[in-house]
Amino acid sequence: MLKYLNRAFLACMLAALLAVPAGVALWSHQETSAYYENRALAERPALTWAGLWDGSFGADFESWYSDHIPGRTTLLKADTRVQMDVLKRPVVNEIVVTEDVLLPFMDYEEQSPEEYAQQAADIAEDLQKLNAHIEAGGGSFYYVGFPEQRVYCGGWYPAFLAGHAAEYETADAAFAGALTERGVRFLDMGAVYDGLGHPAAYYPAVDHHYNYYGAYAAYRAILDALAADGWELPVLTEDDIDLVELPNPYIGSRNRKLYNLWPNTDKAVIGVQRDPVAFTRTDNGQPSEKPLFVTPAADDLPTTYNLYMGGDFAETVLETNRPDLPDVLIFGDSFTNALETLLYASFDETRILDLRHYDEMSLRDYIAAYRPDLVLCIQNDTFYYTTTGNGAVWED
Amino acid sequence: MAFSSMAFLFGFLPLALLCYFLIPARLRGGRNAVLLLFSLAFYCWGGVRLLPVLLCSCVLNWAAALLAAPGRKHRRAALVSALVLDLGMLGYFKYTGFLLDNLNALGLDAAVPAVVLPAGISFFTFQAIAYLADVYRGTVPAECSLPRLTLFMAFFPQLLQGPILRWGEFAPALADRRETAADAAGGAVRFCFGLAKKVLLADALGRIADGAFAAGGRLTVALAWLGAIAYTLQLYFDFSGYTDMALGLGRVFGFRLPENFNYPYVAKSAAEFWRRWHMTLSFWFRDYVYIPLGGNRCAKGRQIVNLLAVWLLTGLWHGAAWNFVLWGLYYAALLMGERFLWGRTLDRLPNPLRHLYALVLITVGWVLFRSAGLGQAGEMVSAMFGFAPGGLWSGEAEYYLRQFRWELLAAIPAALPVKNWLRAGLTAKQEQGSRSAALTLALGPKVLAFGLLGLSAVRLLSSTFRSFLYFQF
Repeated sequence: MLKYLNRAFLACMLAALLAVPAGVALWSHQETSAYYENRALAERPALTWAGLWDGSFGADFESWYSDHIPGRTTLLKADTRVQMDVLKRPVVNEIVVTEDVLLPFMDYEEQSPEEYAQQAADIAEDLQKLNAHIEAGGGSFYYVGFPEQRVYCGGWYPAFLAGHAAEYETADAAFAGALTERGVRFLDMGAVYDGLGHPAAYYPAVDHHYNYYGAYAAYRAILDALAADGWELPVLTEDDIDLVELPNPYIGSRNRKLYNLWPNTDKAVIGVQRDPVAFTRTDNGQPSEKPLFVTPAADDLPTTYNLYMGGDFAETVLETNRPDLPDVLIFGDSFTNALETLLYASFDETRILDLRHYDEMSLRDYIAAYRPDLVLCIQNDTFYYTTTGNGAVWED
Repeated sequence: MAFSSMAFLFGFLPLALLCYFLIPARLRGGRNAVLLLFSLAFYCWGGVRLLPVLLCSCVLNWAAALLAAPGRKHRRAALVSALVLDLGMLGYFKYTGFLLDNLNALGLDAAVPAVVLPAGISFFTFQAIAYLADVYRGTVPAECSLPRLTLFMAFFPQLLQGPILRWGEFAPALADRRETAADAAGGAVRFCFGLAKKVLLADALGRIADGAFAAGGRLTVALAWLGAIAYTLQLYFDFSGYTDMALGLGRVFGFRLPENFNYPYVAKSAAEFWRRWHMTLSFWFRDYVYIPLGGNRCAKGRQIVNLLAVWLLTGLWHGAAWNFVLWGLYYAALLMGERFLWGRTLDRLPNPLRHLYALVLITVGWVLFRSAGLGQAGEMVSAMFGFAPGGLWSGEAEYYLRQFRWELLAAIPAALPVKNWLRAGLTAKQEQGSRSAALTLALGPKVLAFGLLGLSAVRLLSSTFRSFLYFQF
């Protein structure tokens, strides 16, 4: 009896060990990306003598093999479910799971106020140069800063986790102070939202961006600030647009890391203009038929923040053919996307750059070439101290 | 190649098993050749550039043993030359940087070369030295076959982390071993348990230790103790898990490799701890250093010198840094204290107090071992005993306790001989005629092994989860 049991056990074990390579051989070519991880799967490494000699082939093979294990997504999803619902870990896949909101796990290391002050001064100097460059061309420059969701919802961090609220406050104040000292106009949307009562409705529970309610409040605050500085621009008031909640399930970047398993009732919102401002669109130099809101084909299909303008592009140009209005250049991170759907209606030509992707010319050359009347930098505060991408404002 | 990798578990291992067992058992040489080829491939996986050192060591020790065997002329010179070359190779690859760094600190201006440490060099060099010494003493015959000796030195289940083999135990199995289904099933079960120790426990506990040891100015008393205890457990589950996998694989291929651990954290003294921890290394130092130096059959002063020498070398064997030296000397001091000063008092204490004594000292020892330098060791130990920059408690300590509570809870019974107690209880019931006990004994470990293999594989996969907020295609 025991003899047969041992043999059956060994046969099952060997079958399990062999099933995986068989599955990889059969199906590894079928998937090239991991949707929930938002990345490409590793490619099979080429067998070269150099790779064998230094061991990099072994390491690369392990990455490829692990990425292409049959049922990988299903297994990882099941594991996430167990970690979250059975083992009740406070942090799963680097996401802090609370009852009300999902937040990123942050380590406990903090920078000192002195370090922030020094870095802010260095970065503000470049922005000061950019400001002078824009003004020399006859334009105006505003830096519009937003709190990222982890900062806006920082109060939800459990007390034992690092929410860094005081550190962010210090960092944001140092940055704003450094810009103001150097004559760069800084519009702090965190302060605007606080002035409106810090509404919870402005940020989703499951995504690192704000939502459309937050974007619309910011749009109005930006136009109020411009009007105060003498700009006469048409405004989309509450009478001009309807804020419509889409029926589709909304997948936020935080919940995506949890395989969308966290129970979530968030919905995406769009602003439907009652009398739409017509426009033509160009993406990366090519004419585009993309609308302002790229919605799924059916109500049950999921949507993400990428519905606004269809996601990030290196360069987008929206023309409304109203030459009596000024031209605007917007550069910044994906917080621009939702705002673009509103801001374009106040200008003749709206140019949008994402310097993480745009590499045809430097920002200052671009400004010299197109001479916009207004330049808006739109960044969330986790990018204030970044000197690459949209933080590289004064590089050749 | 790591045992806890997808390429090993679901590539190398099934291929090696298929190739090995497809060759008829009567063709013992063929099966040994398969093991040798797979062992060399296993070693080359980390880079073929590492292979020449291993092969040179094999050839050197094979030839030297033939020349050092009893009856050969100049055999002492052959032995000494081979030992010098073995230790020179180990010294060059492992200690060059450490030596030059220290000489530079004393004012020398020497460039420190970037020497790539061949994996497992400390283990295969010690196996080779033991083989040479045994041949020289005449306790084992010199092996004429280079491939057989190479298989002894490069046998993949134990090549990278031991246990340290003796030729006298290994050689008979090369010629005459029997692979049975019962042994293979037992070996497979042990392999799965070892894998789970490594992947499910050690890796998770290691994250607590990494966090605590990197805390610096945030260190609190609680975090320091938590980190130290987590590292104490991590090291045990990592190393004993590897040993379980090695012994399990060895058993599948018909070899009985020596045990390396015997529940070291049930020890009641430092001396007992070292009779239970990394036993093959302790025995190696006993047989090839301590006893040749005179052991404890000499004057007290000489015994102290012998102990100091053995523990200085033990510390250095574990790593080329001063904290390893300090760790070795720490154990030398504890063992001398137990032997000459407080050993009798310790014996009279109640068992729980003796356990506590041993556990606290072992934990402090591992802090010395884990620290990046003497400064960090000092910070951690002083934090553990109340002088922490962050005070008593912090949210960081609470986070680690909450996040890894299951691993911490599971680690305690897993470090105790619970398995032996259960088996003994079930065996007693089986002998009284209990069929359910018999069934549990027969099926339980296998079912559990399957479950643990699955859980470990999923955990390994989840360690490849890399998510990006922004587009990374």
